Amino acid sequence: MTSTNRFANRLLIFVCGLVLLAVGGAAAAAVLVPGIRDVWKDTGAQVTDQVGSWLQQTRLAGLEVSWILIAIVALLVIAIVLLIVFIARHGHGHTSRAVTDSSGEHGSTIVESAVAEQALQDALGGHSEFVASHVSTYKVRRTPVLKVSVTCRRGVSPKDAAAIVESKLLALDGLLGRELPALIQVSGGFRARVGKTTRLQ
Amino acid sequence: MSSSNTALYARIGRRETHSSRSMLAIVLAIVLIVVFAWVGTEVVIALLGMPALLVAPSDMFASAVGLPEQPAAFVAAAGIVAAVIGLVLIITSLSPGRRARHLIDTERAVTVVDNEVIASALARHASYAGNVDPDNATVSVSHRLGVVDLTPASGIPADRDAVTRAVTEQLDSYGLRPTVRARVRIAEKGKVGA
Repeated sequence: MTSTNRFANRLLIFVCGLVLLAVGGAAAAAVLVPGIRDVWKDTGAQVTDQVGSWLQQTRLAGLEVSWILIAIVALLVIAIVLLIVFIARHGHGHTSRAVTDSSGEHGSTIVESAVAEQALQDALGGHSEFVASHVSTYKVRRTPVLKVSVTCRRGVSPKDAAAIVESKLLALDGLLGRELPALIQVSGGFRARVGKTTRLQ
Repeated sequence: MSSSNTALYARIGRRETHSSRSMLAIVLAIVLIVVFAWVGTEVVIALLGMPALLVAPSDMFASAVGLPEQPAAFVAAAGIVAAVIGLVLIITSLSPGRRARHLIDTERAVTVVDNEVIASALARHASYAGNVDPDNATVSVSHRLGVVDLTPASGIPADRDAVTRAVTEQLDSYGLRPTVRARVRIAEKGKVGA
């Protein structure tokens, strides 16, 4: 339900995996395969000379340091900032508005999502099929979507659980005069496992 | 399901039944931040001409270039471990990452159910149909298969067909997507007093 960019997650994992695979494979090959070992030694000397001359040529006047090193530091700082932004963007998508209606002549109507959440939670609280219930609102593709998660007692049929929640949702539709898209999440978990079993209906 | 929400519901259903891989991605990002910060600090310290924290950048470069001169066993082992971790990461990034959940058909909303909930409901019906104590019914539900294991009380045979019928009927009534097939196994040896 959150707006987490899942493609970005997978891309980061894929790139890290590729780099590790390449570096690890190359290191192992450099010491295990004699041919690659010789090539590595030959090019190693050339690379050292080349890098040394680059660092000499790019010295900044007056500072006696190469700007390549400063650029590397700048790139690392940019990469760190990007990674922090990447981490911070996880898990967003909550919204506090369930309905925004500006079709009226004299102004617009806003229904806070707390109205729907509390109405549903109240209605579900009285049912013995559930050990716990929680309602929250997320924005999915700019549409507010209700997420109703219920924790069932052991042995409750998922169909019955969904039907109970659906009947509450239909009642809410009547109350609001419109249909809010909704997700019902029926879960078990620790509280269901240690709780009492349901009775056979 | 109303037609205007079909695309929305498809998206939500897909995202709720598959892992976002957030945990792994965040851990990798933190590791990268720590490594980058360390390397950056070392470079700055070297530029200022102060002694290195752990390894000076020039030594990092020299040891990478002179890798074949290092002890072969260490380098080979470390390289292979890194390559295997990399391979696991690549596989993780490309695999679907299904969570132990099913979608069920409902009119008003999109509904996801933990496999655990399906299993406990099936266990209740199976133990009732097989005349077995609920404690002796074990059910595990995977993506396409639900396995029901019953241990009957000694001397009271459990009717396999009746159990299969009851479980299949339940599974059909849930309308799971993807559908789950039932397999009922009844232990040959009963338990005394079970």
